[in-house]
Amino acid sequence: MRSPLPTNLRTRLTLWYLAVLAILLLVYATLVFAFQYAALTRQIVHDEVQDVETVEGLLFFNSQGTLQLRQDYYSRSQSHLLIDRMMEVRDLHGNVLYRSPTLKGMPLGGANRAGEGDASFDQHIARLQDGSHVLLISHIHVMQGRTLLIRLGYSLAPLRARMLQFLLLLLIAIPVALALAGVAGQTIAQRALRPLERMAARAEGITASNLNSRLDIGNPDDEMGHMARVFNHLLDRLEEAFIQLQRFTADAAHELRTPLASLRTIGEVALEKGQVADEYREALGNILEETARLSQTIDSLLLLAKAEVTQPGNQQTVFIATELVDEILDLLEVVIEERHVSVIQEGKPAGELSVRADRSLLRVAILNVLHNALKFSPNGSALKISYSRSQNPSPTLRIVFEDQGPGIARGEHQRIFERFFTSSAQATASQSGTGLGLSVAKLVVERIGGAIWFDEEVRQGAKCILDLPMCE
Amino acid sequence: MMPARSKILIIEDDRKMSAALVSGVEAAGYEVVAARSAEEGFFLVHSLQPDLLLLDLTLPQRNGLDILRQIRKEGLDVRVLILTSHNTIEDRVEGLRTGADDYLGKPFSFPELMARIDALLRRFLPPLQTSALTVADLSLDTKTRTASRSGERLDLTTREFDLLLYLAENHGRTVSREMLARDVWRETSRFTPIDNVIDVQVARLRRKIDDPFAIKLLQTVRGLGFSLREPQS
Repeated sequence: MRSPLPTNLRTRLTLWYLAVLAILLLVYATLVFAFQYAALTRQIVHDEVQDVETVEGLLFFNSQGTLQLRQDYYSRSQSHLLIDRMMEVRDLHGNVLYRSPTLKGMPLGGANRAGEGDASFDQHIARLQDGSHVLLISHIHVMQGRTLLIRLGYSLAPLRARMLQFLLLLLIAIPVALALAGVAGQTIAQRALRPLERMAARAEGITASNLNSRLDIGNPDDEMGHMARVFNHLLDRLEEAFIQLQRFTADAAHELRTPLASLRTIGEVALEKGQVADEYREALGNILEETARLSQTIDSLLLLAKAEVTQPGNQQTVFIATELVDEILDLLEVVIEERHVSVIQEGKPAGELSVRADRSLLRVAILNVLHNALKFSPNGSALKISYSRSQNPSPTLRIVFEDQGPGIARGEHQRIFERFFTSSAQATASQSGTGLGLSVAKLVVERIGGAIWFDEEVRQGAKCILDLPMCE
Repeated sequence: MMPARSKILIIEDDRKMSAALVSGVEAAGYEVVAARSAEEGFFLVHSLQPDLLLLDLTLPQRNGLDILRQIRKEGLDVRVLILTSHNTIEDRVEGLRTGADDYLGKPFSFPELMARIDALLRRFLPPLQTSALTVADLSLDTKTRTASRSGERLDLTTREFDLLLYLAENHGRTVSREMLARDVWRETSRFTPIDNVIDVQVARLRRKIDDPFAIKLLQTVRGLGFSLREPQS
């Protein structure tokens, strides 16, 4: 189902903004209106009170005992306000003693109410016979020994007309204000979102062939800049993954071609010259050995690919590092014995030093390192494994493997970890395996936040240092 | 050895692979029929009623797993061994869940394939009840875990005994390094250091069981693996 809201973010933002603004304006207008109405009413009552006090001084009984209003008050300065004044004077029995001509004979309010005008000035609204409303106040006044109830009121019509006018003004002004705000909001939203459009256009143009291009970061501290930075980081990782993939493909193609070439040559040569079953047997055996190597190369490449995509936290378990090393030594025991290599373990910690990693991958990594060291160890030599821990900057377990083999040629200490690297040194050339063992080890160790390197200072044998992050 | 010749159907689309499998499995004494497509294979499963099906998963038109599903749905009594280059743990699990009896990743070693085929078909027969195994004058006792040759007690380590036992159980057959890595060393995959370990271990075993004697039983089959058997005269 489609949402009734427009899909365009800009319009949606503007609409929300307008809706909120409209509510605010309406609340504001209502408050202002109410306040204004109350203030004007209070003003009228105030005027009426003053008027009552004025009128009290102007009332008199003439000789016939009729209540009269002295007429000279019309000359008073505020008299124009009082033209509309409506007044009625009653005695306490409700008999009308005086009624202003403005009432045109209509009574002002109903019968006397109990206690009306006793306390200060009673204020209420009355409806006249002609339908108009009057705001009137009542006051009891004692004059010449007679108690009078004075009712004095002003028509509410002018006030209501003014308030209506005010309301109309508000009703016209609010839509105008909203329209203006809408245009402004739309423009602001458009300008705010423009970098997003630019980014989208730029991102659309990024494909596998130009993964190196990046989004422009306008202001790195605002939201758009942040978004662009995040997107660029994503592109960084993508590009890195893509480069790795390309490298993997290239490596694989190259490395698979080499054994394929030997397979082909062995087969061709055997067919060309071989007439003897033994020669065929020899060639086939050779071919099978090559295919085994090929298989192992593919397995190692897949292992590398698996390690590449390993993210911290992926399939990781916590285990004790020294136990893993012992397990590997146990596996290699027969080779160690055969070569009469004595394995010396130093500083083996008493406590349980746990690391967090994909155990099977780290096992392969350490196995490769140890096997590598063993492979180059001369008969009867020693292989030293020493452990130490450091806290700098985070808890780290360092395992050092020192062999007494031919060592690593100068300048090859880093290259030894490269994929398919085989040393140029003659002494080691015959020992080479798939050429991926140390690459796998390095990748695995680095993926769990560790480090592995060969000490370049060592001249006798090789010293491999493995730093593993410990977990508490 | 077999009560009757077991029938094996191979569904494999690669012509060379199929031909090699047919010739190899036939040489082991089975009756073999090959199908090159899923449809043909499916027809043959019904008409031939084979005891074992070697099934490649990547077939043209139809996935091997579909065939397997269909076979299991119809409740046909046939053992199924999947042969495929899709060889991750997830693939294996899926294959076995779908109803395969065994799963072998390509490239596999032929001796291993034969060992699996024999094992799958042997399931029909009652298991061996004896704890003693003999190959020529070599005898093993699986209960006491001891071995002797010509009555002479052999001093073997645990691993050496396991290795010898495995070779003896498969005597007359070639055992590949993959099989040893998995079944004796219990490693999940075969990689260079393991190969080295296996070779050294076999050499040591050979020194103990063969060196003092005139007849050599533990043979290295170049490119294939090892075999415990009496040399052909």
